[in-house]
Amino acid sequence: MRTHRIRVSIAISCFCLLWVGGFTSLPPRELLGIAPQDEGYYKSDVIKCKDGSKKFTKQQLNDEFCDCPDGTDEPGTSACPEGEFYCRNAGHIPRTIFSSRVNDGVCDCCDGSDEYNGKSNCPNTCWEAGKSAREKLKKKIATHQDGLAIRKQELEKAKQAFAEDEAELLKLKNEEKILKGLVEKLREHKERIEKAEEEERLRKEKEEKKQREAERKSTEQNRPSEESAQYQSEGTQDTPMEMNSQDSVEIGHEPVVPPENEYNSRIEIPAVHNVGQKQVADNIGESITSGHGSDDVNNEIPSGHAADQEHISGNTEGLSREELGRLVASRWTGEHAEERTNEPNDANGEQEEQNQDFSDSAEEENYDSYNSDNDEDRHKFDDDDIQDVAAEEYGNHVEPDGSYDHDKDYKSEFPGSPSWLDKIKQTVQNIIQAFSFFKSPVDLSVASRVKKEYDDASSKLSKIQSRISGLSEKLKHDFGKEKDFYSFYDRCFENKQNKYIYKVCPFKKASQVEGHSSTQLGRWENFDESYRVMQFSNGDRCWNGPDRSLKVRLRCGLKDDLADVDEPSRCEYVAILSTPIICLEEKLKELQQKLEDMNKRQPSTHDEL
Amino acid sequence: MGRLNRRSPDALIFLIFLVFLASLTSAWKKDEFRSCRQTPFCKRARGRAPNSLPSFSVADVSLSDGAVSARLVPAPTLRQVTDDDPSAADGDDASSRSLLLRLSVYRGGILRLEIDEDPSSAPTTKRRFRLPDVLLPNLDDLRLWLSRLSPDGASATSFYLADGFEGVLRHDPFQIVVRRAGSGGEPVLSLNSHGLFDFEQLRAKKDDENWEENFRSHTDSRPHGPQSISFDVSFHGADFVYGIPEHASTSLSLRPTRGPGVDESEPYRLFNLDVFEYLHDSPFGIYGSIPFMLSHGTRSTSGFFWLNAAEMQIDVLAPGWDDPAAPNAGRVDTFWMSEAGVVDAFFFVGPGPKDVLRQYASVTGTQAMPQEFAVAYHQCRWNYRDEEDVAAVDAGFDEHDIPYDVLWLDIDHADGKRYFTWDRVLFPHPEEMQNKLAAKGRHMVTIVDPHIKRDDSFYLHKEATEKGYYVKDASGKDFDGWCWPGSSSYPDMLNPEIREWWAEKFSLKEYVGSTPSLYIWNDMNEPSVFNGPEVTMPRDAIHMGGVEHRELHNAYGYYFHMATSNGLLKRGNGKDRPFVLSRAIFAGSQRYGAIWTGDNSADWDHLRVSVPMILNLGLAGMSFSGADVGGFFGNPENDLLVRWYQLGAYYPFFRAHAHHDTKRREPWLFGEQNTALMREAIHTRYSLLPYYYTLFREAAVTGIPVMRPLWLEFPSDKETYDNGEAFLVGSSLLVHGIYEKDQKSASVYLPSGASWFNLRNGVKFDGGVSHKLAVSEDSIPSFQRAGTIIPRKDRFRRSSTQMVNDPYTLVIALNGSLAAEGELYIDDGKSYDFEQGAYIHRRFIFADRKLTSIDIRPSNVGDKKFSTDCTVERIILLGLPSGAKKAVVEPGNHETNIELGPLTLRRASPPVALTIRKPNVRVADDWSLRIL
Repeated sequence: MRTHRIRVSIAISCFCLLWVGGFTSLPPRELLGIAPQDEGYYKSDVIKCKDGSKKFTKQQLNDEFCDCPDGTDEPGTSACPEGEFYCRNAGHIPRTIFSSRVNDGVCDCCDGSDEYNGKSNCPNTCWEAGKSAREKLKKKIATHQDGLAIRKQELEKAKQAFAEDEAELLKLKNEEKILKGLVEKLREHKERIEKAEEEERLRKEKEEKKQREAERKSTEQNRPSEESAQYQSEGTQDTPMEMNSQDSVEIGHEPVVPPENEYNSRIEIPAVHNVGQKQVADNIGESITSGHGSDDVNNEIPSGHAADQEHISGNTEGLSREELGRLVASRWTGEHAEERTNEPNDANGEQEEQNQDFSDSAEEENYDSYNSDNDEDRHKFDDDDIQDVAAEEYGNHVEPDGSYDHDKDYKSEFPGSPSWLDKIKQTVQNIIQAFSFFKSPVDLSVASRVKKEYDDASSKLSKIQSRISGLSEKLKHDFGKEKDFYSFYDRCFENKQNKYIYKVCPFKKASQVEGHSSTQLGRWENFDESYRVMQFSNGDRCWNGPDRSLKVRLRCGLKDDLADVDEPSRCEYVAILSTPIICLEEKLKELQQKLEDMNKRQPSTHDEL
Repeated sequence: MGRLNRRSPDALIFLIFLVFLASLTSAWKKDEFRSCRQTPFCKRARGRAPNSLPSFSVADVSLSDGAVSARLVPAPTLRQVTDDDPSAADGDDASSRSLLLRLSVYRGGILRLEIDEDPSSAPTTKRRFRLPDVLLPNLDDLRLWLSRLSPDGASATSFYLADGFEGVLRHDPFQIVVRRAGSGGEPVLSLNSHGLFDFEQLRAKKDDENWEENFRSHTDSRPHGPQSISFDVSFHGADFVYGIPEHASTSLSLRPTRGPGVDESEPYRLFNLDVFEYLHDSPFGIYGSIPFMLSHGTRSTSGFFWLNAAEMQIDVLAPGWDDPAAPNAGRVDTFWMSEAGVVDAFFFVGPGPKDVLRQYASVTGTQAMPQEFAVAYHQCRWNYRDEEDVAAVDAGFDEHDIPYDVLWLDIDHADGKRYFTWDRVLFPHPEEMQNKLAAKGRHMVTIVDPHIKRDDSFYLHKEATEKGYYVKDASGKDFDGWCWPGSSSYPDMLNPEIREWWAEKFSLKEYVGSTPSLYIWNDMNEPSVFNGPEVTMPRDAIHMGGVEHRELHNAYGYYFHMATSNGLLKRGNGKDRPFVLSRAIFAGSQRYGAIWTGDNSADWDHLRVSVPMILNLGLAGMSFSGADVGGFFGNPENDLLVRWYQLGAYYPFFRAHAHHDTKRREPWLFGEQNTALMREAIHTRYSLLPYYYTLFREAAVTGIPVMRPLWLEFPSDKETYDNGEAFLVGSSLLVHGIYEKDQKSASVYLPSGASWFNLRNGVKFDGGVSHKLAVSEDSIPSFQRAGTIIPRKDRFRRSSTQMVNDPYTLVIALNGSLAAEGELYIDDGKSYDFEQGAYIHRRFIFADRKLTSIDIRPSNVGDKKFSTDCTVERIILLGLPSGAKKAVVEPGNHETNIELGPLTLRRASPPVALTIRKPNVRVADDWSLRIL
């Protein structure tokens, strides 16, 4: 048959060509593009399409006509669009390529086997490529080996830290229970004292009134009202003044929950609440003032929030020609008119959500400065996050109270031994005993002691409670099968790129910091792809775009190192974090196996060459 | 702490406010564009009732130079004075001066009417602008030398126009009629049959006059005063009118804009504008203007083209607009208004739809033959950021086995939007980058816009300034407007010297970092001027020879496109066909490259309007056009994106594009299932490339568009006249879009007179019936017409250039008499050698169970030859009664098998069609194949 003859002659001519050219010998037509493990499948005279759709004869194998829509009959040609071609790549790694690559003029297989029609010259580069691939693989294996050792140590530490934290939580919960009881007792006493004091005051008042009445009656023209007015004022102000002075002393000493915040303390707002609130209020005041101050600036450059809205909504009358140009340009770009011109070709992250920034960054900045006042530096995000979650949990939108290092604070106040609890117990015992000799009028020293002890104890209680919530919040997270990522909880990783510093705090949030302004790239979402990716989502919103998000891909490395932060799609960031935590045993074995495979085929193929 | 705030009620309100703002920003800014009412010439003209104007009468009719010449003499009555029309004030001689008229006839059924002022009596030195460079330079060769005028009744003159047609000039009142010759004298086209012809002649300005016009904060000095022209044109025997792109509309035909039953509407506006987020259904002007209208009805097809680049407004008048008591039947009246220029208009007599298209093409030219790669799939985004991004996207296509041919770089690739430069941080090795793509047969496109950054250190700006090459403002200084780079100026592309200078900039030497595989995209060439009136250049800006911008506005982008295209032509020493995509268009733009429908949006409506838009562009000569697949603004839902690929794969110009605020949209980012669907859509296009390329050849020769409305092929099937949901690719393929989310079925009308084979499963459907078809997600309804043969290449490659040597598949759909025909055109895909005959053009004819391939390349086309070893690997037969087992190929008398095979070589494709296995005949040869 004519066709058969043609086919054979093509095969032969290809064969010769390659032979003469000094390339690896081409397998016979019937074996072209077939993986060794598949050769058996093609042995018989009538072969089935792998999808079962039909059968074909051995003559139809690689005959440049697609019989099986799935490509079974044309593994070595481009005839079936959905077929695959296997390159042996002796000296390197075998590869399967799409049929569309066969004889397309591009050398896809390092052994050149995909280009056999004589139209292109594809030298065999497998040996060279294989060599460098093996080098790379060896390096990777070394990294994995060393990383694995570090990982093991880290895991030990993580386990220990986890156990410690769990134990502490348990202990704290017990203490909380006891302390709660004590506080309750103290509160009862305090209330009784207050009641007694109130009665006493009323009684006194009555007496005084009576007395004055009597006095007035007896000596009507003797005394002018001077003294009595003075007396009166003293009398009414007496008690509150005393309490106030007490409070203020205590504030100097340590923060205290003022009485009106009793509810709040129940929902575990740390004691600095008030101070924080005040600070925020001040800052708001400040930002309002500065807002006024910058009005002029806003008028000059139409960047102000209000100005922008107006323009965007179509009122362009009265703009200078340049402003108008910028404004219209900004419709397409979503950027703000004046930013464009300053840096017209700065593509990355230059869009700022002015509207949001106006409220956001002003506050954030203030918040930051507050942080650094109260809290040396680290773990800014810790409490921040806890606060958040706490607020979320209770569905209560309380004003944030700034950052507060529970840990430090807590430890300084509750030093190692648990004896403090006994001390309090003892004190309360004493007071209660002292108090059982209850008599009227109230013994002022006892009363103030009760109040002080009550304040002390309830403040301690709220601290314990906040510590508990912090710990339980931490322990709630998914740290991996072996608590692999436990140490990440209190850490942030940074990467500097041009003017930006990228800051990734696992389990908390990620941000892009430029000078004093910070853009949130996302809040912790979860691990993905079986702990190979950390997801941060719902970051600051992009103008005309999505909420920012960040995907951190983990890679085995000897040090924790954040790198390659990128924004492949608008406001969707990616980064790579090298860490020994992800240097896994299985992966190491897999790599070693791969190297072994490569080495195995190495000597024989080299001989062939 | 913004995070907490955001949850508070205040923050919520704030957010809602932001959303509100965003919705404001995304709305089309109606106020920024002039309505007819805000445009004095339009308002004046539109306010006139038929026959209310003092009429012109014709005098001194004579033959001169083989053409009819005459004077138009205004009626001696005083012209009506209207409040807002100072030009009509008495005491001016403008209303008493006569106009010069000339009628000339061109071969093939074309009548040209020219009316201008009489320079001998002109009161000013200003001459009205006649737009050069649009009509084909050799048009005069087609002119017929009239030798005889015949009196026609008491006051009319008639003359020969074409076989079966004659032109008539009625004297008083002046009127032009094109009619069928003979006793009936049935009219086809008429001008001024409703007495709306008006011509504001130039005159000297009086001291107390103020000609300024204000719009928003802009003042137009209008130094030459009112000079508008308006007239009515009637299309007799027409049911619908089409054309005058570019407008976004869901309707294929032009809906009436005035008259009984029409809600208040603007006229169709032809004024090239960069419209942010244009509406999907509006008569307002967008990026392009082609003042060519066609009419079609059961009785006739005709066309009218007014060569004028000033702002134009056109009313389509509903029946009864002139007399509600007696609505005209079988006629469509239209009313044309322009701000300036002259009357230089062409009447095309038809009589068939393709005749009108050929007639128009003989005046303005045909589609330039594109390079083959340009017909394949283009991948674009604002912006592929840097070389790594480019490499990653390129690799992504390979990884997912999706072919593409061209990767595009938008404005941010340049250094500070200084076109012809590279941002060297992002693109340090542009040549290497292009060469890497070229190694896989791929190409790159960079953007070059007309706004040049006013930066003294920018060589282009320096040169242009020194040479005085910029458009001037009204005061004579270089016009300075705002666009992407900030303060910018615009080269005066009307000037041929400046176009030459511009063209040189594309040489490989001058365009540093360019390589021969780099092609060009012209955007923003309306021109877009962010701080100009209506986001464009002021009308009183000055071009070469004192021509005002108002007089050539609609052609600015055309000249820019022309200059760029010539630049690429020069770069390749006249051997490499240019590829330049332009956004702004005018009549004739087809000669310079491709165009697209601008910044559309990722919504279903915009998917829908893409079809009527592209069809009307095609009717107006622009064969090589497409809409941004996926929609430029916004993020398409997955199914919308997939549907868009499925439809876009049939656009003549097939490009995906997206705004930089949108999520990344490369076809593999939406899950495996969607990747497979988009891959399939793109593969469909690639396998049809031989068919498309053949159609582009047809468009280049005849002007018949690649993508056609159904009525173009089925002119007597009334059901097709206003069908804008389906279209034909060539004459053989019918495609119906899916324009709704979750659409489960579609009602598809298949034209009468033919049967249709479903392209997926080979099922045969009757024509002349609307079929309700179930719709699956894997394709949109597509059919091959019975009686046709479509050439395909079914092997997949990375790019079209790698398919050059691949074998063909012929798909033969037999009609009732078991016959079919089709064509295949092949050349080298890139050079102009085809002009010397270096091409293969075959016709395949199937009849009497025999398929024959014959050479239809004329022998006198040139000495150059093109050859190819490509063979036919497979022939699929639809509609042949089964039973055939073998075929015999001649010459050679060798037998080949026939078996049942699939229509497409995809996994799980069922065997549904008789397939001739491996005939292995060369496409370049004569051969025949007999079915046994």
